[in-house]
Amino acid sequence: MKKFNLEIAVGFFLLLGILSLAYISINLGKLEIVGKDGYTIYAEFEKAGGIKPKAVVEIAGVEVGTVKSVGINSDYRAVVELSIEKDIKLQEDAIASIKTKGLIGEQYVQISPGGSDKLIANGGKLRETESAIDIEELISKYVFGKV
Amino acid sequence: MYLEKCKGELMGKKIIFNVFVFFVGLSLSAVFPLNAIAGEPKDQVKQTVDAVIQILNNKELKKPAKVEERRAKIRETVEKRFDFEEMAKRSLALHWKDRTPQEKKEFTSLFSDLLEDTYIRKIERYEDEKVVYTDEKLDGPYATVRTRIVTTKEIEIPVDYKIFKKGQKWEVYDIIVEGVSLVNNYRTQFNQIIRSGSYEDLVQKLKKKVVK
Repeated sequence: MKKFNLEIAVGFFLLLGILSLAYISINLGKLEIVGKDGYTIYAEFEKAGGIKPKAVVEIAGVEVGTVKSVGINSDYRAVVELSIEKDIKLQEDAIASIKTKGLIGEQYVQISPGGSDKLIANGGKLRETESAIDIEELISKYVFGKV
Repeated sequence: MYLEKCKGELMGKKIIFNVFVFFVGLSLSAVFPLNAIAGEPKDQVKQTVDAVIQILNNKELKKPAKVEERRAKIRETVEKRFDFEEMAKRSLALHWKDRTPQEKKEFTSLFSDLLEDTYIRKIERYEDEKVVYTDEKLDGPYATVRTRIVTTKEIEIPVDYKIFKKGQKWEVYDIIVEGVSLVNNYRTQFNQIIRSGSYEDLVQKLKKKVVK
């Protein structure tokens, strides 16, 4: 009888351990098991500058969404899928730019809100974009000139 | 008998197929005129750029005494293609809605003066730069015309014109030079000035700058 209780206790703690491990990994990995409330918009960039899924989307330095996926279209332009929080309304003339935190920091998408009355709906497209600026390319262009 | 029936069926299928091809062709030809318009935004931008280059190359107008006349001519040509109200609206962004119609008008004229002052001076230093048209992308009533300015030192500067259809005309609402948007640049600056002071401060600043 005593042995039986001990086994249950061990099993119980093991289960507890597994559950907390699962909780930690979901939280740390920011996995979305239940889809977050928000809507999806697309933006096309000339150069995505190596932006990756889960990169932050910011307005005025505040996180308002994340990059869901990054792909390439038939024109060889980068198409970035953005997931935006549902309370955040984006105007049609809002501009999305890919920026770098600091000189060598991570990439993020910055949105500057526009003034249009039309809003971008779920699945809509953000037409105005600014690509990532390649500082190295700029420097080399103006220092060495082009062949 | 059976063979002939098969043949008849085949013929029938062939006719249906031909009719199908005919209709596909018909619908394609109906779609085709749309493609013919595809060059329109590029042509209209090119028209304006060429007209400006022509003024710049005009030897008669290069004389120092004709500086003002030349400037006025460039201004006139550019104004026909650029929608300064839309540019001003996009640059003020959130603060545009709070303005009265009169303020909007005043701001548009100040903004166009600012752009002209800043950029016509730059254009005036033109020396045989070439403009290459690389690409055009249509998206409903909006389009992007991609160009590259090739300087005499063979440095290429990418310049994209963002244009939209206004009636029959295509008008420019943003210019993207080397990946940097003109509207976004002013939007950030105007927003900062308005947030840290007021709209009146911005107008004062613009007036000062334009008078200089």
